[in-house]
Amino acid sequence: MTDRDDEGRKTARVAPWALLGPGMIFLFFFFFLPLYTLLRMSLSSSESRFSDPSFTWEWANYTEAFSQFGEQFFRSFLYAGAATLAALVIAYPLAYVIAFRGGRWKNLMLGLVVVPFFTNFLIRTLAWKTILGNEGVVVSVLRTLGFLAENEGLLRRPIAVIGGLTYNFLPFMVLPIYVALEKIDPRLIDASRDLYTNTWGAFRRVVFPLSLPGVFAGSLLVFIPAAGDFVNSYYLGSTQTTMIGNVVQNQFLVQVDYPVAAALSFVFMAIVLAIVTIYARSLGTEDLI
Amino acid sequence: MTERRPTRPFPPMGAMTSGPLTRRRFLERAGLALGAVAFGPALLAACGSDDDSSSGGSSGSGGGGGSNDIAISNWTSYMDKPLLKVFEQATGISVDYREDVNDNNEYFAKIRPNLSKDQSIDTDGFVLTDWMANRIINTVEWAQPLDEAKFPNKVNMSPALANPAFDPGRRYSAPWASGATGIAYNISTTGKEIRSIDDYLSAPGTKTALSEMRDTMGLFMLSAGADPTTPSYAAAGPAFDKLAKAVDDGEITQFTGNEYVGDLGNGDIAAAIAWSGDVAQITVDNPDVRFVIPDEGGMLWSDNFMIPYTSEKPAEATEFINFFYDPANAAELMAFIQYISPVVGVADQLRTIGGEAAELADNPLVVPTEEFLAGLTIFGSLDDEQEVRFDTRFAEISGSG
Repeated sequence: MTDRDDEGRKTARVAPWALLGPGMIFLFFFFFLPLYTLLRMSLSSSESRFSDPSFTWEWANYTEAFSQFGEQFFRSFLYAGAATLAALVIAYPLAYVIAFRGGRWKNLMLGLVVVPFFTNFLIRTLAWKTILGNEGVVVSVLRTLGFLAENEGLLRRPIAVIGGLTYNFLPFMVLPIYVALEKIDPRLIDASRDLYTNTWGAFRRVVFPLSLPGVFAGSLLVFIPAAGDFVNSYYLGSTQTTMIGNVVQNQFLVQVDYPVAAALSFVFMAIVLAIVTIYARSLGTEDLI
Repeated sequence: MTERRPTRPFPPMGAMTSGPLTRRRFLERAGLALGAVAFGPALLAACGSDDDSSSGGSSGSGGGGGSNDIAISNWTSYMDKPLLKVFEQATGISVDYREDVNDNNEYFAKIRPNLSKDQSIDTDGFVLTDWMANRIINTVEWAQPLDEAKFPNKVNMSPALANPAFDPGRRYSAPWASGATGIAYNISTTGKEIRSIDDYLSAPGTKTALSEMRDTMGLFMLSAGADPTTPSYAAAGPAFDKLAKAVDDGEITQFTGNEYVGDLGNGDIAAAIAWSGDVAQITVDNPDVRFVIPDEGGMLWSDNFMIPYTSEKPAEATEFINFFYDPANAAELMAFIQYISPVVGVADQLRTIGGEAAELADNPLVVPTEEFLAGLTIFGSLDDEQEVRFDTRFAEISGSG
């Protein structure tokens, strides 16, 4: 008896590690190791432009990343924030309707949210160039209505970049919110009605709080890739709308300055981490997930 | 040059003028340029395969590892595929021909990890623009000499191109094709002819410049009275200031590869700093679009064939370039890609072919006249330190530095 107990206890001790193993090995090779290489690179310097950088504790890379590209960092997070907000405003009602009013069309409607995104990311972004172009319908309608002056357009302005970001990452907002809403037991809403709340009250006090994990997940899934994106800014924006992704691309491919590109990536990660932490705290996400 | 795509020769007029096709081509083209940067070669191959109906992907031959197989990397639509077949039949060398060069910097970034560590890149020849050829030959020393014995047609090389500063005597490189950088504009938007950079800056409407530093800066240096043939950062100061002011004032709103092609045609862009071969194509679609070499001068560049030091088949690779230096073959190639040939005698050969090819012989963008060439300047070489300063300032002005 005691033997078997010991064995059981041993298994209980080993099993979690064994189960974690494959994930840890994956993380080690595809996360920690690259992160370490990136960190080393960000503290390296090269003797001449095309020699391989060597590790020299070159903190100046970080000084340069901070001091020179503050504007692009700020713009990246501003645009990503605006895109996240816009995506939330569009996605929440959409997910709500699909989850509560979708009925037998639910799967079809979810499919319709995702299907456009089978098209290549780049082609979708470029399509917006045509849609928002000076000869396009949108601009001519806005001009007729007087929202745009005769020589004003939409392309190469912040609104085009933010719009592109919103569009491109929208499904990542819709799906988590849908999942959160879908999980809500409709009887909770009935119960709130029994307790004399109106529709708005039921939404505010029951549905919305219960959907917060979805909102949280969706916001992160939109905000983080949007802040690092460079495609939308490159094609829909101008010299005044460049984001940090454009800077990294330029440093890496044109300037061939890998250390500064790596330092920029680290600074970017640090800022994202800080923003996400603050966001999680303020939403009280520890209780939600 | 970022992703240049020369026009296919003599397209049926109807096909060229239909709106959707033009837009489709524009999308694919821009897609290619960015795909290369953002999503790597896999997407590139996927995009490239359906945009060029005559290419049929990488020509099925070669790549088998036989002793006579070579692999060549070149820019998109820089090859007349039937002509490649003729080469294969004539020499018995089969070519794995890849159109995977879309941008000098991007291609450099791609081959750097291997070539800096003595590893093969499985390529026996690639084609890059002058300044990058300078870097490959002189700075990082990744090129090996062409096999002179296998290059008898070298005598046909245009004397103007035979002795560049980066490769005296052309031991390591041979120009594949040349082109000019000037200003393209849509006269229905600008409302007036454009003759200079100042005209371009004062024209109404959206204006773009090229993200290729030497092209844009070359024109601005000429406009500011500096000489791009012997560039120095100090001398380029006023030109940089002029460009910076134009960007700050909102005169130039974007720095692009050749995405300006579609935008010029549909009027979204009024004027752009542009490459000659690209514009030849839209001019067919839209006579309002014009190309001009500014009065102060334009830029002349060449793309150069080189053999990486890791190639084990320099003789076969040299035979490849030798074939395209035969004036008859060169004429066939230029009739297809419509850039300036580095081979003497191409004009006569074009006339011999007759028909629409003969018309090209009178087009200065394909067979440049003395007068046309006199207006063009080649951007001189920059040492490492100068290049960094040029690149950094240029990136700052274009918003990504």
